[in-house]
Amino acid sequence: MPVSPATPGPALEEADDRTLAGRASDGDIRAFEVLVRRYGRLMRVYARRILGSNADVDDVVQEAFLQAWQHLPSLEELASVKSWLMRIVANRSVDRIRARREHADIDQHEYEAPASEAPEARAQVHSLDEALSAALSRLPEDQRRCWVLREVAGYSYLDIGGELDLPSSTVRGLIARARKNLIREMEEWR
Amino acid sequence: MTEPHDASVSHPSSAAAAVSAFSSFEPDDLDGHTIDELSDYLDAGRMPADPSIEGSAGCQIALAALARLRAVSVTLLETEASSEPAPDENWISGILQSIGREARAGRRIPVSHPDPAADLALTEGSVRGLVRAAGDAIPGLVIGRCSLDGDVTLPGEPITVRIEASALWGTSIPDAAAALREAVISALGRHTELVLAGVDVIVHDLLPAPTPVSTAPEGAAGTTAAVPGEPNGDERA
Repeated sequence: MPVSPATPGPALEEADDRTLAGRASDGDIRAFEVLVRRYGRLMRVYARRILGSNADVDDVVQEAFLQAWQHLPSLEELASVKSWLMRIVANRSVDRIRARREHADIDQHEYEAPASEAPEARAQVHSLDEALSAALSRLPEDQRRCWVLREVAGYSYLDIGGELDLPSSTVRGLIARARKNLIREMEEWR
Repeated sequence: MTEPHDASVSHPSSAAAAVSAFSSFEPDDLDGHTIDELSDYLDAGRMPADPSIEGSAGCQIALAALARLRAVSVTLLETEASSEPAPDENWISGILQSIGREARAGRRIPVSHPDPAADLALTEGSVRGLVRAAGDAIPGLVIGRCSLDGDVTLPGEPITVRIEASALWGTSIPDAAAALREAVISALGRHTELVLAGVDVIVHDLLPAPTPVSTAPEGAAGTTAAVPGEPNGDERA
């Protein structure tokens, strides 16, 4: 067979998303691996922001990739595989939160400690991006989660309420408070 | 918008003073409006214009801050991801192992055999693999999705192979497509009994030329507006 493993074509790592998603949907594991490496970090950051902690990030993103593999053949817009992956990981994260709730007292849930290294975060802020990142880490969990689902994931108030089991008026209030807190901190930083 | 040049936590005092006057962003500071209302107003593109908002200094400051927040929100995850450590290799191989157990066999493509009792077949997935391998051997092309149109489960049924590909910048697309067609016809002729009615090649993207090794001047991609399919003379292959 004339097929040598060292192919003269461009490396798969350089390929565009549509090509990779197309190959992966045809069963090419190598192409899928490139997608995992290309978007794994972004998906982990996203999951961590929604989950509010590191605890389930590995599992949730792994589940998201497995789900993506199963459903890739039905993805029509191959070129938008990135936003499709992001949607999957958001949904998996929200599912995970819901599953946690079933095991924990709902009232306790609101008062988990903020996820990350708030004190250090303040010291080394170099850009507005980092200021937001740090401010977000200091938000109460419920505010942060609703804000991320709204502003990053693009969920509606109603959808967030449905997913998190909250009246949408509560969601609206939490997001308004989150915005107030975030702009206050960002404006102070500027 | 100016880039803050000092990374320290000390705030420019004037900005801090300007903000502190409104720092709580409560209705008292916003001429009776709320952040929630102002967010909706911003979402609506500040239309229809509301004079009580547009005429309020407090609201203007809040709207500007909300717009800044919105702009930064868009890039937040990408920024965070850039400082996120690379995922653990074990974690990646765990994913790849799990998906490997769910091969995409697709349809069953019969293969004849002199012994009528023998029941041989190829999977559609393996035929796609053949097409990819044949295509990846063509310089300047990367094969994407590939489909076999027609009833491959019926021996002798004419099949059209449809192949998506992207081409490396500077590749002659007609030449590469012809070479791909030939390679696919030959590979499928050798390994399958499929009757090909056609091989359709769709080139949907041009990939930027890779930069490594040969230190040619930067920016082959900068040689603008070369017609796809026309070698642009900048040889990198």
